[in-house]
Amino acid sequence: MKAKYLSLASRSMQNSLAYRVSFIVNMSASVFYILAMFFLWRAIYAHRTSLAGYSWNDMKAYLLVSFLSSTMLSWYSESRMSSRILDGSVAMELLKPIDFQAARLAETAGTTVFEGGVSAVLVTIVLIVYAGVMTPHSPAAWIAFILSFAVSVLIKFGVVYISSLFCFWTSSGFGVAWARAAITNLLSGALIPLAFFPPWLRATAYFLPFQGIVNAPASIYLGQATGAAVWGTLLVQVFWCVVLWFLGRFVWRFAVRKVTIFGG
Amino acid sequence: MSLIEVRALTKTYRQAVRQPGLRGAFRHLVHQRYTERVAVDHIDMSIERGETVAYVGPNGAGKSTTIKMLTGILVPTSGEITVDGIVPHKRRMENARRIGVVFGQRTQLWWDIPVIETLSLLRDIHEMPAQEYRKNLDFLTELLGLDEFMHLTARRISLGQRMRADLAAAFLHSPAIVYLDEPTIGLDIAVKERIRGFIKQVNRELGTTVMLTTHDLGDIQDLCRRIVIIDHGRIIFDGALAEMTDAFARERVLHFQLRTPCPTAEQELQRIPNVTVSGLSDTELSVRFDRAFISARDITGAIMQIADVSDFRIDEPSIDHVIKRVYDGTLNLAVRKGGGA
Amino acid sequence: MRLILRAWRRNAYLYRRIMGQNLRAALEYQSDFLLSVGSAMLTQVLGLVFLGVVFSRIPTINGWGFWQIVFIYASIFLTEGFASLFFEGTWRIGYFVNHGELDRILLRPLSPAVQLLSSAIGMNGIGNLLVGGVMIGESLTHVHMVWTPGKILFSVILLLSGIVIRTSINFASNCSAFWVKNAGNAVPFMVHSISEFAKYPLTIYAPALQALVGIVVPYAFIGYVPAGYVFSTSGMAWIAVLCPLVALYCAAVAGLILRTGLRQYESTGN
Ligand SMILES: Nc1ncnc2c1ncn2[C@@H]1O[C@H](COP(=O)(O)OP(=O)(O)OP(=O)(O)O)[C@@H](O)[C@H]1O
Ligand SMILES: [Mg+2]
Repeated sequence: MKAKYLSLASRSMQNSLAYRVSFIVNMSASVFYILAMFFLWRAIYAHRTSLAGYSWNDMKAYLLVSFLSSTMLSWYSESRMSSRILDGSVAMELLKPIDFQAARLAETAGTTVFEGGVSAVLVTIVLIVYAGVMTPHSPAAWIAFILSFAVSVLIKFGVVYISSLFCFWTSSGFGVAWARAAITNLLSGALIPLAFFPPWLRATAYFLPFQGIVNAPASIYLGQATGAAVWGTLLVQVFWCVVLWFLGRFVWRFAVRKVTIFGG
Repeated sequence: MSLIEVRALTKTYRQAVRQPGLRGAFRHLVHQRYTERVAVDHIDMSIERGETVAYVGPNGAGKSTTIKMLTGILVPTSGEITVDGIVPHKRRMENARRIGVVFGQRTQLWWDIPVIETLSLLRDIHEMPAQEYRKNLDFLTELLGLDEFMHLTARRISLGQRMRADLAAAFLHSPAIVYLDEPTIGLDIAVKERIRGFIKQVNRELGTTVMLTTHDLGDIQDLCRRIVIIDHGRIIFDGALAEMTDAFARERVLHFQLRTPCPTAEQELQRIPNVTVSGLSDTELSVRFDRAFISARDITGAIMQIADVSDFRIDEPSIDHVIKRVYDGTLNLAVRKGGGA
Repeated sequence: MRLILRAWRRNAYLYRRIMGQNLRAALEYQSDFLLSVGSAMLTQVLGLVFLGVVFSRIPTINGWGFWQIVFIYASIFLTEGFASLFFEGTWRIGYFVNHGELDRILLRPLSPAVQLLSSAIGMNGIGNLLVGGVMIGESLTHVHMVWTPGKILFSVILLLSGIVIRTSINFASNCSAFWVKNAGNAVPFMVHSISEFAKYPLTIYAPALQALVGIVVPYAFIGYVPAGYVFSTSGMAWIAVLCPLVALYCAAVAGLILRTGLRQYESTGN
């Protein structure tokens, strides 16, 4: 029963290996972005030691986590999902004895293994070359961070999957993807730590799933969440992960009627 | 000087050699290896104003490559081309004003624009006077039946309609020369005939020079008096179509229907040199012979003497048959190279 | 001279004709149009929120105030908006080359550059134009300065130069498809994402990055250098004189790359 999803995942991983060069070059966009942010923050911290509770060291570590998150489930996986819907091959998918959502998850997982491998290498290099970046305080914190990061990818999947389903109502995937990226980047904390937000926006962000993508793993990495708070953070992440999964199913049931009743 | 002059024209493609696998990809990154592929190999050709020339050859012979050089899309590796006194790739835009091109596999139309708008855009691009445009458009609309799909975008029309629209786009600006690369590919017989009729009429009435590549031998027989055969990038025959069939389609088959069985007839005929006989049944005989050595009259005469013939018919070889044998290499046309029309 | 002028007029006319058709085609997909405009605006507004949040806690970055950085940031988006709305075709060069569709362009008596530039319309550019324009307008009203007719004229020239620089870089990087012959040619995207650095004052970066954005891929002349002129930042005003020259240089390089590419264009086998 699970074998077919495993085979989907492994095929998608091989695919990303085949396109490794464009993959890595596409990753350069994330690299440039994070470099720009690094220098911007460096200039900002040149005259002060702390901002919104973040020291320059904290900020560097935060940027690292934010970068890691941005390399996972990249443009490639997103556009693969939406183009399935846009080019009509979703109709062929309906003929197969496969759950659409689970199949997309399997594919995404396959690609993410490759992406994760590459960014793990990059991050290791950064940590070695640029020794100033702090790391989690204890092995336990490391484990908690890795767990939280893994769940964050699942949350990101949930968001991306649901937004791709909106392609049933459009004829191009760009608009959907851009809007999705803009909202996710702000509310997840990818652009700037949530602590910098004005109180009302911060409170809103904490009640939404997006914060589970960057804010949650970062707070564990930085040691802002310790002890019971770590468990709390993880639990909230898992909660959103499950909610998004079922929300995805719900939207799918609406969306698929576009194909079955209106012929795509 | 002829309208189109081609001298020692050669095109070599550089094709990257990539070893499979990860290692191969990395090696390619460091040290790129290429093989040269000679697609067109020192061809010579002259085409006069008003001619219709069939340019044929097996897949990969170099037909499309030649056309792309003649139209100025590709820069030749070596050799010379002049089309109406112009070197196409050097003065591409000037050349483009005087030619029309259809690539059967690919449309020249704007995908998201209604056909009529495409034609009107092309009018502006070619800077046609309004009156000429009107006249040509009416002419094309009638001959090609553009009415039924004129207001649809290229995206929405069928293959046959698209090909007709493409032809209209190619002929719109009254070009002196049109190059048609497989203009009937994938079309049903009715559309094919309509297109052939159109090309014939334009050639006859406007004196447009036509160069046509095709794998459909019906196109050739219908449209062209001159045929140029290319294989492996070299021209292996260039001459009149009739001349080719006369010279090389010498084999004929006579089929006889006998009123009563005649067991000796087969052996009798077998004795004549250069003849092969096969009996299909007691009362049916087929005789294959070479026209250069013996005439149909002699064979019929011989059989009439021994058997009671009720009916007979003669099979002439079709042009496909000849060309197929040229492609196969069983018929060597090398002697005829450079015949000219 | 007359002839050149006539050729330019004809090119401009045909460009407008083709773009008009593209526009009509694009407007058929109404929901797409609204969505792409809306999401482009959203992206920008959220970028502005980011800057606002940062500046709510600090007064300046390397001597640049909030509205000045908004100006730089918005210039990048405004020129991006022009480039996508009017010259989205640059992003299709790879497709044209790889699929042999360039054949069709070469068969028409109209400059390939005009045909490539007009081969698509990016409606999302409207969103960038709107928000970028408003942001620039706001930034100019919030910073006290003296406008003279000469300054206004030169600022317009700076804007036009920015559009030319942006489009030329897009065009040139997409022409890499003539040499990089796989479908997912990532060079243009990589070059495009270098503009990320141009959203902030150049002085915050390490020298190597300054050289990259200031010289190799001169995005700095789109926002940062004009900002130095408009806000009369000490020692920078005169550098802005270079902007039109950089624009001409970029356009010439793009044209040269296209010509070189066309000469060795090999079409496709089928
Ligand atoms: N763009 C290209 N790059 C590399 N090789 C090419 C290219 N185009 C054609 N070739 C090679 O050149 C040779 C001639 O190709 P061409 O397209 O001219 O053949 P053709 O006679 O038109 O064949 P067909 O009847 O199949 O259309 C082929 O062997 C082909 O592999
Ligand atoms: Mg061909």
